[in-house]
Amino acid sequence: MKNSSAIRVALNGTVASLIFASSAAYAASVPAGTLIENTATASFDTGGPTQSINSNTVTIRVDELLDVAVASKDASAITISGSAVLSFTVTNTGNGPEAFVLTADPAVAGNGFNSTVDSLAIDTNNNGVYDAGIDTLVANGGNSPLINPDTPLTVFVLVSSPGAADGSTSQVNLLAQAVTGTGAPGTVFPGAGEGGGAAVVGNSGADDAARGSLISSAVSVSLVKTATVSDPFGGSQPVPGARIRFQIVANATGSGSINNLKISDAIPASTTYVANSLTLDSTPLTDLADSDAGVASAAGVVVTLGTTSAGATRTVTFDVKVN
Amino acid sequence: MLLVRFHIFSLACSLALASAPAFAQEPIELKGDVKVVRIAEQGGKRVETYAEPTQVVPGDRLKFTTSYRNGSGQAVQNFVITNPLPKAVVLTEVGNFEVSVDGGKSFGKLASRTVAIPEGGTRAATVADVEQVRWTVASIAPGASGSVTYFASVR
Repeated sequence: MKNSSAIRVALNGTVASLIFASSAAYAASVPAGTLIENTATASFDTGGPTQSINSNTVTIRVDELLDVAVASKDASAITISGSAVLSFTVTNTGNGPEAFVLTADPAVAGNGFNSTVDSLAIDTNNNGVYDAGIDTLVANGGNSPLINPDTPLTVFVLVSSPGAADGSTSQVNLLAQAVTGTGAPGTVFPGAGEGGGAAVVGNSGADDAARGSLISSAVSVSLVKTATVSDPFGGSQPVPGARIRFQIVANATGSGSINNLKISDAIPASTTYVANSLTLDSTPLTDLADSDAGVASAAGVVVTLGTTSAGATRTVTFDVKVN
Repeated sequence: MLLVRFHIFSLACSLALASAPAFAQEPIELKGDVKVVRIAEQGGKRVETYAEPTQVVPGDRLKFTTSYRNGSGQAVQNFVITNPLPKAVVLTEVGNFEVSVDGGKSFGKLASRTVAIPEGGTRAATVADVEQVRWTVASIAPGASGSVTYFASVR
């Protein structure tokens, strides 16, 4: 729609041309099917009273322009661990109601990982947020509802993660193509326009695409176990009667948090758990199953850490005696 | 008066160039025509051509032409052609005509026109404010003809 960029000189040479990009200056285009009627009137004297005449009226019907703009609504990359929702706007920048074929492609060059497109959804209740069970699902490659000119429609792309490494990024491309047809600007579909006129492909090619970004969020937990032996003679030999302190360091790395983290360890054979020796982050825990996080018995120890954020380090120690 | 003389001059020029439109035998005739402006490549250059408006979409530029002919045996004086712009189009450039931005109450060159703004006061009018265009031909000799033109794009 950005035609007429050529410089023209108006008939009146004293005035520079005032050409500007035509339709971009207006919020809304004339609807397809509108009739443009032009009539001129002339008044004149031939010696008597002033007379006037009308010209014939020339009439043009405005055809349908097929144009669309797609944009990502997400201000930044959407964090994905299991699944995520990408938001886009699809705006009919043409001048007639039109439906668009919506296709989400999760395989974009440069992706660190490719997500899986589970479905598309239309923001049926128009609140800008995906509401499962309320917003209408559309299969990938399916049609949008009819979109009125200059009315943005929010489209959600529901994706799930393959379990990518933390911080890995991915893009998903959403393509919208006019159902009536696409092609080079100026391509004409006779009789296919709103109101029975032609449909004409606009500058967008009657299709447009935009990308939404994902960043994978994953937490991994490393456990490092060390043992320190103190024998009854002041040395560090694992002789009978020696005390062994086991230390387990749990380190959560990545981003986000992990749920239901529980550290358990069995008491090694030929050793005996030293009652009430269990600690978490240097704080003693009772052996009983009670309000604190730890439980210990002759069989082993269990420390329930629950939800643990990335970056956290928890240290568990317990002592055994060599039999 | 300077303004009027200017119009006489420019219309006299276009008189010589205008192809003779076919008119019915009315004493004074006024005939409207519209073409759509297309940009074509000719010899590596972009040139404007004027096509029949069989397909018109928003953004297209239209050439509205009104031809006149004095078929009477006497001179016509103070020939004033007034053309309200259809609401679906917007003037794209000024020309050898006066404009009205107040529904036809007053006319003048675009540069002399102002429009009220909601905050109070006025601003200079732009082509988008033009509602009517008007040409004045001081005199048309018997048998003489000519045409006037404005360009507008589909909103």
